[in-house]
Amino acid sequence: MQPHSFGYFEEGHLGRGREFRLWRRLIGFAGPYWIWVMVAVLLSFAVTGATLVVPYLVRLAVDRYIVSSALPATDRLSGLFTVAGLFALAAIGGFGANFFQVKVLERTGQSIMQQVRQRLFRHMLRLDLAFFQGQPTGKLVTRVTNDIQNLHEMFTSVIVTVFNDALTLLGILAMLFWLNWRLALLLLLLLPLLLIHTLWFSRLARDVFRAIRTGLARINAFLQESLSGVTVLQLFGREQETRTRFAVVNEAYLADTLRQISIFGVFMPAVDFMNALGIAGVIWSGGHEIMAGRMTIGTLVAFLSYLRLFFQPLRELSQKSSVIQSAMASGERIFELLDRDSAMPPATAPRVLPAVRGAIAFEGVTFGYGPGKVVLRDVSFTVAPGEAIALVGATGSGKSTIINLLERFYDPQFGTVRLDSIDLRELEPEAIRSQIGLIMQEVFVVPGTLRDNILLGREVAAAALARVVEGAQLQGLVAQLPAGLDTVVGEGGVGLSAGQRQLLAFARVLARDPRILVLDEATANIDSETEIMIDQAMATALAGRTSLVIAHRLSTVRRAHRIIVLDHGRIVEQGSHAELLAQQGRYAHLHALQFSNGISGIPKKEEG
Amino acid sequence: MGLIALIGVDLLQLLVPRLIKRAVDGLTAGTATSALLGKLAAAVVGLALLIAGCRFVWRTLILGFSRLVERDIREWLFGHLLTLDRIFFGRHPVGATMALATNDLAAVQLAAGMGVVAAVDAVVMTIAAFGFMLYIHPRLALVTLLPMPLLAFATRVLSARVHQRFHKVQEQFSRLTEFARSTFTFIPLYKAFTQEEAQAVRFRRLGEDYVRYNLRLATVHGVLFPASGLAGNLSLLIVVVYGGGLTIAGAISTGDFVAFISYLLMLTWPMMALGWVFNLFQRGIISLERINEVLLARTSLPEITTSAPAHLAPVITLCDLSFTYPGQREVALHGVTVEFGQGITGIVGRTGAGKSTICQLIARLYPVADQMLLFGGHDVNTLDVAAIRGQIAYVPQEATIFSDTIAMNIALGNPAAGQAEIERAARAAAIHQEIIAMPDGYQTRVGEKGVNLSGGQRQRLALARALLLDRPVLLIDDGLAAVDLETEQRIVLALKEHLAGRTCLIVSHRLAPLQYADRILVFDGGRLVAAGSHGELLAQNSFYAAIYAFQRMEEEGEAGHAAA
Repeated sequence: MQPHSFGYFEEGHLGRGREFRLWRRLIGFAGPYWIWVMVAVLLSFAVTGATLVVPYLVRLAVDRYIVSSALPATDRLSGLFTVAGLFALAAIGGFGANFFQVKVLERTGQSIMQQVRQRLFRHMLRLDLAFFQGQPTGKLVTRVTNDIQNLHEMFTSVIVTVFNDALTLLGILAMLFWLNWRLALLLLLLLPLLLIHTLWFSRLARDVFRAIRTGLARINAFLQESLSGVTVLQLFGREQETRTRFAVVNEAYLADTLRQISIFGVFMPAVDFMNALGIAGVIWSGGHEIMAGRMTIGTLVAFLSYLRLFFQPLRELSQKSSVIQSAMASGERIFELLDRDSAMPPATAPRVLPAVRGAIAFEGVTFGYGPGKVVLRDVSFTVAPGEAIALVGATGSGKSTIINLLERFYDPQFGTVRLDSIDLRELEPEAIRSQIGLIMQEVFVVPGTLRDNILLGREVAAAALARVVEGAQLQGLVAQLPAGLDTVVGEGGVGLSAGQRQLLAFARVLARDPRILVLDEATANIDSETEIMIDQAMATALAGRTSLVIAHRLSTVRRAHRIIVLDHGRIVEQGSHAELLAQQGRYAHLHALQFSNGISGIPKKEEG
Repeated sequence: MGLIALIGVDLLQLLVPRLIKRAVDGLTAGTATSALLGKLAAAVVGLALLIAGCRFVWRTLILGFSRLVERDIREWLFGHLLTLDRIFFGRHPVGATMALATNDLAAVQLAAGMGVVAAVDAVVMTIAAFGFMLYIHPRLALVTLLPMPLLAFATRVLSARVHQRFHKVQEQFSRLTEFARSTFTFIPLYKAFTQEEAQAVRFRRLGEDYVRYNLRLATVHGVLFPASGLAGNLSLLIVVVYGGGLTIAGAISTGDFVAFISYLLMLTWPMMALGWVFNLFQRGIISLERINEVLLARTSLPEITTSAPAHLAPVITLCDLSFTYPGQREVALHGVTVEFGQGITGIVGRTGAGKSTICQLIARLYPVADQMLLFGGHDVNTLDVAAIRGQIAYVPQEATIFSDTIAMNIALGNPAAGQAEIERAARAAAIHQEIIAMPDGYQTRVGEKGVNLSGGQRQRLALARALLLDRPVLLIDDGLAAVDLETEQRIVLALKEHLAGRTCLIVSHRLAPLQYADRILVFDGGRLVAAGSHGELLAQNSFYAAIYAFQRMEEEGEAGHAAA
């Protein structure tokens, strides 16, 4: 890997054996739609039949009526019209069948893809948070969009056209043998040559297509990153160097496209040349057959027409093989995701959560996000219903992890977390989370109106919503917004400040009125006026609820009934603010650093 | 040259039916001999060889040329984009700009390559094949071609509709993509509020719409492609009936009849291609226009080419500086006059007070009027932007991390920096310890597909990047907001040493780091409302005192505890 590849890594290639299994699973998706697939196949018989019958009819017209001077001219003409009638029928029938085939295929393909997409999306939503944290969002999005699209392309355009083409090729061969087996046999000599050529080509084409796709992805990744960070590049005067590096990526892409051109430049004319060889063979050998009286001129004409039909699918082969290749790669990635289990096993016999009182207990909990990365060590504590707990500790001491375990985003490796004395593992995560109001450090504004953002799918009466808005100190904002609660906020709408986002988070919790409140206080700096509003919103939110707060501000710590001090994953101190300060231990030290500032000589407090 | 080869192919191809005609005529009349057949077959093979050669030439030349053009435009475009300013990027999202360099450029390439080929091919083939048909039998030729303009017309009309419906499909696809993106981005929220099922249902609805649009597109497709076959067959039918009649009547020979069919088959594709080519060119032109629009965009900063003075003193003077962000009505800065010299100047104020604007103007991210901003005593509008930036190390609010190793990220401004220099910068930014704790230390990859950094780590990395440059001016534009206090204490202390003799501006919401500042400026509503040391401000400025008082409220309670 060269330095500064700007975010692109090669995707792995597939092995042979896995390819087969992949196909089986891919076809498996089509299972429920087998009737429609059959209809498409039947229609493709009709299409192929119509395609093949046309040259035959032309031959009939030539032989029976146009060339044969034995019949009187009127009979020849009326015969000609009969053939023409059949011809018209075949043409229109072929058109109709073709139309319905396209429609049926699209419907089937889209239905299959919708089903796969839906399944994949649901599956991914069920996966644990650790999974999402380990993957760039762009990659996950690609799975449910572009990768599915690639599969669809294969299902509709390739699988059936390949079937169509194969049928056409076989039909043509049969026709040729039936018309004149000697001439057909002669043409068959071309077949191995054609086969070898095509196979060799499709291998080359596949490699070069892959290289081109990779190259384009690399260009995209480069553009994405350098344009997103263009200001930094400019400030640091890296324009020239970035240009040079881009030129390298761009040049590599050019080289691949030129390679593709020369591969096609050889293949396409070569196929045409073989086509010409076929024509020459038909003229030479067919001519002799006619002279020997073993073949008619009409047959010769039909032979020439069939030859043309025969070469058509071969020309498109390369394109199809590239579609199949990218579909296989996509399929592999999709299955990889589908096969991934959530790190959290579902509750075997999920218990129904009765009305929650709000008692929390951690019993000897040990947890790490990965092997060798233990974050919590033998942590035990209890929280009584209605009690307010502040969690305090340095970055990485395990505060957020306690919240993650309580929300059952993860399960502990050892020990038990209990809600009202029920082991969380016996409960569905949804049941737990609906009892806990969570306010995260980073407040996400989802696409939609402010109302959507507060309610998040919940139905709340207007009066109750008004109380929520007031409790969360949002009334000022609502009054300011052009359409009040129905103003679109976030991306593409009105931007919310960090402080307003905090208030929104409180509103979300108040709208759900949970028994338990879990709050990871934001460290972002907020101006003092908003700070006061947040204080009030917090007071409203905490009132009467069991609460667990990761505190960053002094006012929050002081509001707690009890403070739990964490250090390197262990609880080192517990008690009230005054008790802990008196102990002169870890809390007192943290407090000195975090909440007051003794260096300048003027005692000063830090505001969130 | 490529075009000549292309036309050569077309003309040579037209000769093949002539050969077939001679064979058929000879065979019908019974005058054919083995020698004639041999000669004709050999001629077909010979022609084919020539054709194959010409094909190879045009493919390589014309398509190759279009790829070269594509590369040049892309490189040009990218180079140009790097010279554009924030104002441009504010108006053009990165995604849209990327689409220019990929999708739009691909459309241009297609038009310049396959578009040209298909157009020339279609025109030459049509004229020549039609000429031969006219030569055989003018009336038959005219009658036969009746369905062809119809086909070209239908292709055009239907392709327009395809285009339109395709657009809808694409739109829905981006909706689907955006929905998936926001769901995955906000996944912790949706999980915490048990909205997984609701999101899945919404996603299904979007998907259903997507299917519906696709089916509507398929209807047009379903007509379009078989229609070309139908039109071709219609023409063939005319030839069989009318041409057959003519042959029976002896007006044309059987060989002519067969050759006629061959020419007809040759015409079907160019006719279809005409409609297609038209759309191809149309798209190519639209794309080219869009690209051109960006190429014509200019940075709003003055492009000074004269060499900058050899030495620029790190003194920045604001003379009655007023500024409004382009496209906005609200004035961001109102007549600010101040000078920044050696030492640390802290800037505080509410959101929207104009703190960050000052940093961005000094870093020349936006244009300013003449004589409002001086650098080393020179009006910045008379200096090369790059020369000014060369004096400044900037730490922005949003730290940009590139997908690369940590070492390369720190050494962004000076890729030649040695490990010792990089480590020194990392230590000063208080991130060295965390870096060496990572799996590959300084060689750990970060960014997409690399280790995820926390907001505080990103900011400290950006700080290290700025410190590595060791430039006379350091701007920290609220660049430490996500760093926790304990760490920030260490950083600011380290900075104090690092910055001897340099000019430094620190914008912050937090007052703590600014206590070390030699001077603090208080901004409100785009105006400089107060300046002085922490102690002076506390005594003189009510706004500063108000922030302080708010903090004080809490402190008093604590003082009581401490006393107790």
